Order: sequence, then C-alpha cells, then structure tokens
Amino acid sequence: MAAYTIYKDNREFIKALEQYGDLVTIEQEVDWDLEMGAIVRRVCEKKAASPYFKKIKDYPGFEILGAPLATYRRLAIALGLDPASSVPEIADEYIRRTSNPPIEAVVVDKKKAPCKENILMGEEADLFKLPSPMVHEGDGGRYLATWHFVVAKDPDDGMINWGMYRQMVFDEKTMVGPVLPFSDMGKMFYRKYVPKKKTMPFATVIACDPLSAIAASAPSPIPEDQFTGMLMGQPVEVVKCETCDLEVPAHAEIIIEGEIIPDLLIEEAPFGEYTGYRTSPREPRTVYRIKAITYRNNPILTVSNMGIPTDEGQLLRSFSLGLEIRRLLESQGYPITGVYMLPESTHHIVVVGVKPAYSNIASQIANLIFGSKMSPWYHMVIVVDEDTDIYNKDEVIHALATKCHPIRGIRKYEHAAGTPLYPFADPEDRKWSRGAQVLFDCTFPLDWPKADRPIKVSFNNVYPKEIQEKVLKNWKNYGFKE
Amino acid sequence: MARKEYDTYVLTDLDLVPEDKETEIILRDLTPSDRRYKYRSFFASALVSRDGSKYPDKLWVRLGRGQLQENPWSVKVIREVSKFQ
Repeated sequence: MAAYTIYKDNREFIKALEQYGDLVTIEQEVDWDLEMGAIVRRVCEKKAASPYFKKIKDYPGFEILGAPLATYRRLAIALGLDPASSVPEIADEYIRRTSNPPIEAVVVDKKKAPCKENILMGEEADLFKLPSPMVHEGDGGRYLATWHFVVAKDPDDGMINWGMYRQMVFDEKTMVGPVLPFSDMGKMFYRKYVPKKKTMPFATVIACDPLSAIAASAPSPIPEDQFTGMLMGQPVEVVKCETCDLEVPAHAEIIIEGEIIPDLLIEEAPFGEYTGYRTSPREPRTVYRIKAITYRNNPILTVSNMGIPTDEGQLLRSFSLGLEIRRLLESQGYPITGVYMLPESTHHIVVVGVKPAYSNIASQIANLIFGSKMSPWYHMVIVVDEDTDIYNKDEVIHALATKCHPIRGIRKYEHAAGTPLYPFADPEDRKWSRGAQVLFDCTFPLDWPKADRPIKVSFNNVYPKEIQEKVLKNWKNYGFKE
Repeated sequence: MARKEYDTYVLTDLDLVPEDKETEIILRDLTPSDRRYKYRSFFASALVSRDGSKYPDKLWVRLGRGQLQENPWSVKVIREVSKFQ
C-alpha cells in the first residue's frame, strides 16, 4: 500500500481541496456561456482557490470544478503531500514514484464502475446534453474537453496512449480538434489508420482522479495507465468501453466514446491557448464522431481555462516536461544540479543548473534537450551554474542579465520543429509548424583566470559563516518580522 | 417573429466572400429554441449579403482569431448539408 493519500476520483479530490482551504463552493447559478470561463480565468490569474460550481444554467444535476490543478499547492495535494511542500520537494517525490517499475491497470467489472451509472447510446448520445462551457469570447465553439484526456490504442502493439487533445463541440455527434503529427496519438492516427482509411476508436475521459490527469499530461514514454499506477503506488482501476475495446478509468465522471474519422477535416478553433494568446488559426482539423456517452449520477466536470499564466496546462506541462528533461540529462551522466521549467514561461523556457565540468558543456546540454522529441514544446534553454537557484525566478533573471554574454553566450538554432501555437512565429511558420531555438549560456568560461572571475555579492556568498549565523539569530531582535 | 441569428468565421479576405450566390459555409446557431444548443455548428448551403437586412436572418461575421466585425450581414439558409453518411 502507498504511504501517501490517494484520491480515487474527482469527488475525493474536491473534498481534499475543501479540507485544505483550496476550494470556493459557488451555490449561485452560473452561466456556462462565458460567465464560468471568466471566473476560472480570473482564478488562474489571481492564483485563487478552485471554484466549485454547484448550479449551472440550463443543466440541472451537473456540477463543475474549475482550475483543479492550477497551483503547486494543489499539485502537492493531488500527490497526497503536505500542501506547503516546495517545488523541489514535489519534484523529488514525483521522480521517486515514477522511477519505480510500471504498474499495470486492473480491469474492473462494469457493475463496480461508477462511470457506467448512466449510458446514452444512439440518438440519445447528444453532446449538447453536457454543459460544455463557452470558455472565452471569440472561441470557435464550446470546449467540452479542456481538462481531460483521450484514450487510444496502437493497433499493432496494443500500447495505450492517454493524451490531452482539446476537443470543440461541433454538433450533437461531432467534436473537432488538433491532433499534431508529432504527438503520440498523431503518430498512431496518421501512420496506422489514415493510410488505410480506417476509423480509430477513441474515448474521452472527463474529470477523472487527479493522478490520472497528471499522467495524461506527462511526456513520459511509459503508457499513461501504467504511469498513473506508479504515481498512485497501486493499479488504476479501468473498465471496458461500451462500443470498442478501449478501457477507461472506472471512477471518471464522464466518458465519450467514438471514432476518429480518417478522411474528413472540419474547421476548429480559434481558442485561447496555453501560450496566453489565441494564436493558431481556425483551420480544418481532426474529426471525432461519437457513439456513446456514459456518466456518473450528478456528474462533476472539470474545466481548465487557458490564457496568461498560470493554468494547469502550463503548470503541469512545465513540471513534467522539466522532470523528463532532467531524467534525460541524468541518464547521460551530465553533472546537473536540476532542471526547472518556469510555468510563467508557458513551458517555453528550460532552466538547467550544472556544475561546469568542461568548456561548452552548456551547448552539449542544449543540443540534447533540443534533439529530444519533446522539443516542439519549448524553445529556450538557460544554463546556469550551481550558484544559481534554478527555482528562484529572481536569481535566474539575474544570472541571465549578468553572466550571459550578449553574443558569445547566445547560440541560435534555426530550422527547428515547432507548433502552430507559437505567438512569435510568422503565419507561414505557424502553418508549417516551424520554429527556432536558442541557448543562453549563463556560466562563466572555465578558461578565465581565477583572479578575473567576478565574485557574486550576496548574503550567502560574501559574509563569513559566523556573521551570517549571528545576523540570522538576531534578525527578529533587530525588529524585522520575517 | 424575431430574426434568427448566426455567426460564421471568414478565413479569407472579407471581400472574397461571394454575395447573393449559393455558397457552402459553416454557421453557428446563436438563437436556438433550446438554449443548450447554442453555438451548434452546421454546414449550410446559404445566400449571404453584406446588407444586414437583405435576407431573413442576421449573420455576425468573425475573422480567423475570433475578431467580431461591427456590423452584421444577413443570411438565408437554404438547407443544412451533412458531411456524414
């Protein structure tokens, strides 16, 4: 058994948020048409508690949890840790759990799966029966799937993929959304189904337990159902779908089942995106046709609102991408002190701490990071030495401004793979998912004579230990509160 | 009876939208009888005009990133077109 608390579903997680003072329960009726989106957006921008909407206009019986994991505090709660855990503490625990052997999911009987409490098939399976929010004014449609994941299976080796692919409601039976060709599901769909003009079964999972959602947003090569088991320390319970051989978390609130169409694209977007802009254009995108909807009694959806930092997409992708890069660098023996992606950078900036062991180690690190399949999701690498706390934004900015030579310290990488979502890219680059990358080397060259090396002037660095201790001991006596 | 209202996204130059000629476009229903169906999209064969009063229904126009144009056009929906078998 795991030594930490596990929340088996969204409902237990909501109770935990309430217990820790991280939930605001809203009894007043809220409109799914923009009002709810505006509340969640403001929550993200103010880093406020998760809003729990109890009464949704036009949709009696449904409830919605907004911004479920938009802060490190809520991430710590989801992992069963002390809510006050620091980012490095959360990161170390995540690495510890996910370094254990994968844990296979267990299939439970449908009678033990709450997500089967209601089953809508055929004409009854109508997407407008669900309170999909109109998240931002100007969006191309109502987005049912903003904090969710899509389940797919490789037809050859049976490998499972859970991934977060946004889905816009088009009509009663149709959703559309981007499935980028370099994504795991994109590789599966475009290589193995489209050439044969075969439909690909999918299941969209809405409002599952928090660890399944964290696993689905992680870039790990381990199948996400097993990765969830690693995070939980025990198998995640799954259940067979009604219309295909996929399996979905048994305790999720809502499951949408259907097929992805290989020979039809429909316009999707625009949508407020993780970069904090509405960037990628409305254009023809992947089509999901639904066959069934299953859901719990009085289902509680989850809604994320992407925009300027910080929402859960930015926070969790930054967190898990950074730790996957840390694993990659450590696997090759680089003397790093850590890796951190600033959520405020919308996971575009990777900060790497290193003990500079030889000249140009920063370039070698950047080459490996930019050579990874994860690279379209970031384009700036900042390498700092061990004097800089990578988790401290002020220190990273200070290192960048003072140790990175404006010419020698900056190395540019042209012709990189990108995404249509880069706000800085020109329209043609966005259309073809073209990007560029840059390294900021914030380490002092090793060939400088020791006498010429600047000395960092900080409390910790330029005062004798006994003076530091004396000052710290007397700090409150001097009259300071903190 | 109040005019129905739709909106559509124009991804090309607005001047390139053919007026008074049967055209296939995607419309979103902004005034359904059941409010739960607001923003339902569909392919329609329709006539459109920049003249806001020429056709029976109101058509709001948005650009590719959602920018709403100030003055509504008008539209006549001839039929809904299904893309599925």
